[in-house]
Amino acid sequence: MKKHFVKKWNRYFIIGFIMTAVAILIAVAGVFWTPYSTTAMSASEKFAAPSLAHPFGTDNFGRDILSRVMKGVGTTVLISSLVVLISGGIGILAGALTGYFGGILDEVIMRFTDAVNGFPSILLALVVISILGTGRQNVIISLAIVFVPSFVRIVRSEFIRLRDADYISRARLMGVGRVRILFVHILPNIFSTFWVSVMIGFNNAILAESGMSYLGIGVQPPDATLGKMLSDAQGYLMTAPWYALAPGLAIVWIVLGFSLLSEGIRRMQA
Amino acid sequence: MIRIEDLTVAFGETEAVKHVNLELKPGEILGVVGESGSGKSVTALTLMGLISEEARITTGRILFDDVVLAEAGRPKDKALYRKYQGDRMSMIFQEPMTSLNPTWKVGRQVEETLRLHRDLSKEERRRQVLDAFTAVGLRDVEKVYGSYPHELSGGMRQRVMIAMAVILHPGLIVADEPTTALDVTIQNQIIELLRKINSEQKNTMLFITHDLNLARRICQRIAVMKDGRVVETGPTEEIFETPREAYTRRLIQAVPSRIKKTRKTENAVSPDKADNILEVRDLNVYYREGGNSLFAGKRKHCVVENATFDIKVGEILGLVGESGCGKTSLSKAILRMNKNIQGSIVCREPYPQMIFQDPYSSLNPVKTVGWLLKEPLRALGRLDPSREMTEADMEAAAYDMLRKVGMEESYFHRRPSQLSGGQRQRISIGQALITRPRLVIADEPVSALDVTMQAQIMELMLELQEELKLSYLFISHDINVIYRMSDRIMVMQRGRIVEIGDTEGVFRNPGQEYTKLLLKES
Repeated sequence: MKKHFVKKWNRYFIIGFIMTAVAILIAVAGVFWTPYSTTAMSASEKFAAPSLAHPFGTDNFGRDILSRVMKGVGTTVLISSLVVLISGGIGILAGALTGYFGGILDEVIMRFTDAVNGFPSILLALVVISILGTGRQNVIISLAIVFVPSFVRIVRSEFIRLRDADYISRARLMGVGRVRILFVHILPNIFSTFWVSVMIGFNNAILAESGMSYLGIGVQPPDATLGKMLSDAQGYLMTAPWYALAPGLAIVWIVLGFSLLSEGIRRMQA
Repeated sequence: MIRIEDLTVAFGETEAVKHVNLELKPGEILGVVGESGSGKSVTALTLMGLISEEARITTGRILFDDVVLAEAGRPKDKALYRKYQGDRMSMIFQEPMTSLNPTWKVGRQVEETLRLHRDLSKEERRRQVLDAFTAVGLRDVEKVYGSYPHELSGGMRQRVMIAMAVILHPGLIVADEPTTALDVTIQNQIIELLRKINSEQKNTMLFITHDLNLARRICQRIAVMKDGRVVETGPTEEIFETPREAYTRRLIQAVPSRIKKTRKTENAVSPDKADNILEVRDLNVYYREGGNSLFAGKRKHCVVENATFDIKVGEILGLVGESGCGKTSLSKAILRMNKNIQGSIVCREPYPQMIFQDPYSSLNPVKTVGWLLKEPLRALGRLDPSREMTEADMEAAAYDMLRKVGMEESYFHRRPSQLSGGQRQRISIGQALITRPRLVIADEPVSALDVTMQAQIMELMLELQEELKLSYLFISHDINVIYRMSDRIMVMQRGRIVEIGDTEGVFRNPGQEYTKLLLKES
């Protein structure tokens, strides 16, 4: 890491980092190994309460909840990361071009983002899904579309702020090329702001993916995702409360960990 | 009478003010002079009870007519201060824009002071405010009364601030750099005004400034501060004629008085046209209202009118004028940063460079000094393949330039945030000169620096000019700085060049009323 980037550790950063690291470890572990198969049903073990064999109990088909949460964390983190990666990448490109050059391109892209912002995000994702059909890939595409405008706006405003900075005027005077000014001279300066918005975007993506799966328009069964598990558990909240507990806790854990991490990073830069 | 006895103010572990003793006699103006960070503002804010909560008084006390206002080990007596603030002591700040509430009409803001401290009828308050406005030299006082701060000029806002500070006839007025944000001409009017108020109201004044020359013109006594300590106190003339401390002597010497620069070789300036590095003919510079947006207005606003002048090879042309007179617009047009122009600019240097005023915003904060010095060479190599350099050559050139601007090699890997203002300006100069341009435009390159730094940077610019055979267009609002640097000077007023000529000639025999005014007031 660059020297100016890490000023001093703080509690937010340490706790957030540990929580996030644990979540990612679980997700990676879940790819290779889970205590039970995530799809193996067992009628005899339906709604088994937490025990040594099943630490978080079993669900309505007798599947091990711990195994499904491990897989679900992986799916959720993977989808959210890809959403942030795609929308963040588009955001940097579009934001840099519109912010630095302005003009007609700026107006067109800004009106487009206004239009996207005009819809409630879940509703818009729903529309995209209904056109593309359900499935993991389409969830990523639809969420990426919903998330692009906020990134474009953040990057654009930073580029507008910096395009008239003395050191950028000076780079132009030296004859530095446009592409180099955009991505070598300006981009590193907005990285800190951008990084925090990536963190917030990641959290929102987790919640949005969970929400979509909860509504049944996200990842389809039998794949495990946290949101879908929560939605299934809802019907059994009275008879098998542990069913909702594990996926719910997992969402809280990831979102809280990431929030603390981004707050920690923000404070380190301040 | 105000006495500050053995005052130490600490922020956490660091002591900003160390064992300061100051005494203000009734009716006198005491100047506190020092560079930024010398503790002069902290002393004033502590005296006023306006210092932030983190600060603690660790030793000493402050007395106001034998009443102890503040003392070490005693929590701040807020009720006591409320009684004194505004009524018996008041403060004039540096930046009148941020110390006036932008959402209140200025008349009401001044009236607020009266409302809090005096029991007067509404009409009486209004009359007193209008009287105070007249007393501080504002014209059209009824209109000013109903204006918002942004509708007034900087000088008018500072007058409003002063009216607010003096309306209750306080015994003590603390003025913290009251003229630093203003133009020279306005600066002088404000100084005159403060002196007039002092002689009429007989208030005691604490005048804080980094500018020794300014202090000389208004203060009866001067205290020089350095690193939180008062190093020397005495009557103004004594301080100037027989300074005891080396530091004071350095401050006095650093003041850009009208010392002519010493140049080893006088340029034989020939009238031959081929020797001009820059020729500007009938230049008009415009600005489009509303900036660059698609919906920006098409109306153009002319900021420079009919500029015609030359800069010869190896010459320093000084450009002087108040802020807003078009100096910066002219330089931007020459550098092709503003293309809304009419007329002709012939520049025989393909890549002229610029040195900016603010050393804090002119260096890219995420890059290292070495990277910053190499970047102009990289860019030039791409534009002009014949001047492409290897990485090793660039590295060597960057180290060479670092030495030339008087900095150690260890700074090569530092970032701008680890440098002081003066060091940043050195790097900034190095960055502008490393491609060896033959024309450099310096826009107020020393205005943001302390006096001691100013002298060093000017010396450096002259040395490099000689060594690299440069031509400068040197822009400043400070006529003394211009005198020291320039071969010829050019005076601008409201977008027009009103006078141009040999420096000595213009100074001895100014041809224009405006030039005379500028010379007289500096």
